[in-house]
Amino acid sequence: MANVIVNRVAEFLKRFPPFSFLSKEDLEKVSTAVEIRYLEKGEVLFRQGQDAQPHFFVLKEGSIQLTESQQESEQIREYCDEGDVFGVLALLGKRPYLLNAKVVENSLIYAIPVSVFEQMLEQNSRVALYFAAGFASGQMVIRQDLSQGQKARGLFRSESRDLSLLIFSDQSEIKISEKVLTCSGSQSIRTAAQKMTEAQVSSIVIVDEENRPIGIVTDKDLRSRVIVRSISTEVSVKEIMTPRVITRKKTAGFSDLYLTMIKNRLHHLILTEDGTDQTPVSGIISDHDILLSMGNSPAVLIHGLMNTLDVKEMKSIRDRAEQMLRYYLENEVAMDFVASVMTEINDVIIRQASRIAEASYSKDYPELAEVRYCFLSMGSEGREEQLLRTDQDNALVYEDVPEELIEKAAEYFLKIGTAIVEVLLSCGFASCPGKIMASNPEWVQPLSKWKTCFSHWILTPTQEALLKASIFFDFRPVTGSSGLAEELSMHIYEEIKSKEVFLNFLALNALMNPAPLGFFRDFVVEKSGEHRDQFDIKARAMMPLTDLARLLVLSHGVVGVNNTFKRFERLAELEPTNEALFIQAGKAYEILMRMRALEGLQHDNSGRYISPESLGKLQRQLLKNAFSPISELQEIVRIRFQLDYFRK
Amino acid sequence: MSWWEFWKARGEKADFVASFLELAKTSIPGIRAIDQLNFTVLDTETTGLNPAEDFILSFGAVKISQMTIQVSTAVEWYPVSPKNGKATAAIHGLLESKTPVQIADFVPNLLSYLGSSILVGHHLGFDLEMLLKTCKPFGLEDFPNPCIDTMNLAIRLEHGPNADRHQIKSEEYGLDSLCDRYGITKDDRHTAAGDAFLTAQLLLKLLVVAKKKGIKDFASLSKPW
Repeated sequence: MANVIVNRVAEFLKRFPPFSFLSKEDLEKVSTAVEIRYLEKGEVLFRQGQDAQPHFFVLKEGSIQLTESQQESEQIREYCDEGDVFGVLALLGKRPYLLNAKVVENSLIYAIPVSVFEQMLEQNSRVALYFAAGFASGQMVIRQDLSQGQKARGLFRSESRDLSLLIFSDQSEIKISEKVLTCSGSQSIRTAAQKMTEAQVSSIVIVDEENRPIGIVTDKDLRSRVIVRSISTEVSVKEIMTPRVITRKKTAGFSDLYLTMIKNRLHHLILTEDGTDQTPVSGIISDHDILLSMGNSPAVLIHGLMNTLDVKEMKSIRDRAEQMLRYYLENEVAMDFVASVMTEINDVIIRQASRIAEASYSKDYPELAEVRYCFLSMGSEGREEQLLRTDQDNALVYEDVPEELIEKAAEYFLKIGTAIVEVLLSCGFASCPGKIMASNPEWVQPLSKWKTCFSHWILTPTQEALLKASIFFDFRPVTGSSGLAEELSMHIYEEIKSKEVFLNFLALNALMNPAPLGFFRDFVVEKSGEHRDQFDIKARAMMPLTDLARLLVLSHGVVGVNNTFKRFERLAELEPTNEALFIQAGKAYEILMRMRALEGLQHDNSGRYISPESLGKLQRQLLKNAFSPISELQEIVRIRFQLDYFRK
Repeated sequence: MSWWEFWKARGEKADFVASFLELAKTSIPGIRAIDQLNFTVLDTETTGLNPAEDFILSFGAVKISQMTIQVSTAVEWYPVSPKNGKATAAIHGLLESKTPVQIADFVPNLLSYLGSSILVGHHLGFDLEMLLKTCKPFGLEDFPNPCIDTMNLAIRLEHGPNADRHQIKSEEYGLDSLCDRYGITKDDRHTAAGDAFLTAQLLLKLLVVAKKKGIKDFASLSKPW
């Protein structure tokens, strides 16, 4: 029978992986074998190079620093805090310790005999995977294989997740058009087609005097029965209609309606008052409506967006995309797929927005109708990494116009830019606090002005210029003439080639945020302000990676690859010697993106600030491991760009 | 007259008592370093505070060797008591003893468990008095082991060996206050094993303080003051 003391130990251990995966019996066995040590600040639990002790350790209270002695100095590799497992080399390889364990604050340590644990390691796959994935502190396989970590994360994921993405997400959402386009059978094909065009629909119901359906004509019928057969458009429409329509009652259940359409291969189903063709038409369902109601698949959402210019509907579709996103993230769908899908959805919204904008203003400026322009997404959307609707960063570039049109063009394109930004705001995208948006006259410029601006930043890399460069250089053409964007990219590339020292400045900037070592009290968390004690995942982990990727890609003269993990992929190809590191960095970035998005979805915010306490131990470890490539990359950059000799 | 009272009358020692006393004859050298000492940290819960009338309800203990609490040595025993102690039950939450141990088994187990280790407890005197009462029928006159009362140790470390006991507020040296002061999470208060575990953690921390003050071996640790 376990006594109070053993229970007390067990209760502590069970809060932390890998002990949380143990059965009650195993946990008791381990807890009984625990030895409790109290070490004073300044003591050393084990030293680098020493043979492994027959125990591994769990920190009960206090704090331990894992350091690596190098020739002259000592580098801090990690901080352990409550519940961290360390010194596991004894357990795994029985090799000498790779690090020193120094007591930074008086610490109570639970030492667990390896002999007791070994057996569980063999029998419990989750425990084994925990160690294999490098979650224990100070395991220091210098570059942990993050794919193991991802795999592990999937395995440890909480069981409770909603298996949404059902075929029919919500039946009540099916939209039945009540305004049905009709005409009488005696009207000409031309008249019918005209009506369809005006109403922007793909079908017209042919009715008798009492509005009862006698047939239907669709786009396809116009093609196959009129044009192909060279029938005159003056012929009456009843000659080419599909007679004997199938009808249903409007109140019929969704599955009945849907099955009717599937069985009869109908693209359109006509609804009448009593369900027979002997009563007046009361509605119509198209397969498009059905598709839209069929849950949140990317194809459906994109299709839905492309078929609407109604901002409210666009927002509701974007909201649904967020549900889909959550499903993808929780189910570990590959990040490049998730990111591309979300980017495509965001891009379609922007394209639709530009159609709305053009429709409202082009009539007033006929002289500018032929002037090419391009809407640029920047920042995370530019990098095809915007999962949540965080700040929009965008700008607009247009072709240089003759002297006399300059003022008009500035006016017109600012209106276009502003209209697009407004649509994005209505669709739930946050406004950019720095006003880097196409509604700001400063960022709606003709091509020549943009070139001057970029050249200026490259020639005089002030702090502000570097900050802007880091946002603007990730631009991506979304709608309009992408040729303008390409010209701009080439310009940047040429300018940098002629002034390579700019890259050194950019490198210096990329090293501004040191890699976080681990979650340790207020070591990495924000120290003041609204987000006190929270971890800024964007500034401290994602931005350093983004900056490093941009810098290195630019230094190779690669343009047109914007996405951070694709940039790392490309770098891995370009520098085979650092291939492994770049691959890890890309993976780390994916993990961070996923984590941030999930955090944001959970708390309905940008997900940028994470409370270390709110994360499970496992997520903290995963995050910690994701930091590891950052410092290594920074080291490479420091050497490659000779930053030690290069100070402003 | 039960069989152990028969022994008592004759003043004879049970065999296990004799071998327990034999063990204690080898005294610990004064220069032995603290981390080489073996401690048994114990606590008892009783039916009341009067050793003459009250009985032990439970005994909990854990050992420290090499400055490490050996969780595997933790014990929790519930000796059968002639008095059911309704009053204490209210404080300790002890109602029925979990798995009762007959006194005839409890005493030999206890003595072999204690061995020649240094006995440690908070208000240890009271616990030892209660234990001795239980052991007396088997011929034990006194515990020969060296003893450390964590309350006294704490006072000594905080106020120096020459402190005036009358100036010291005793409530500041209760187990509760000391746990607060030394950052020990108080769980399972008022169970014998729970209190023993807290006392063991307290001892570890006190010994570290002691080391800093130059108390590094058995002689200086057990110095009377």
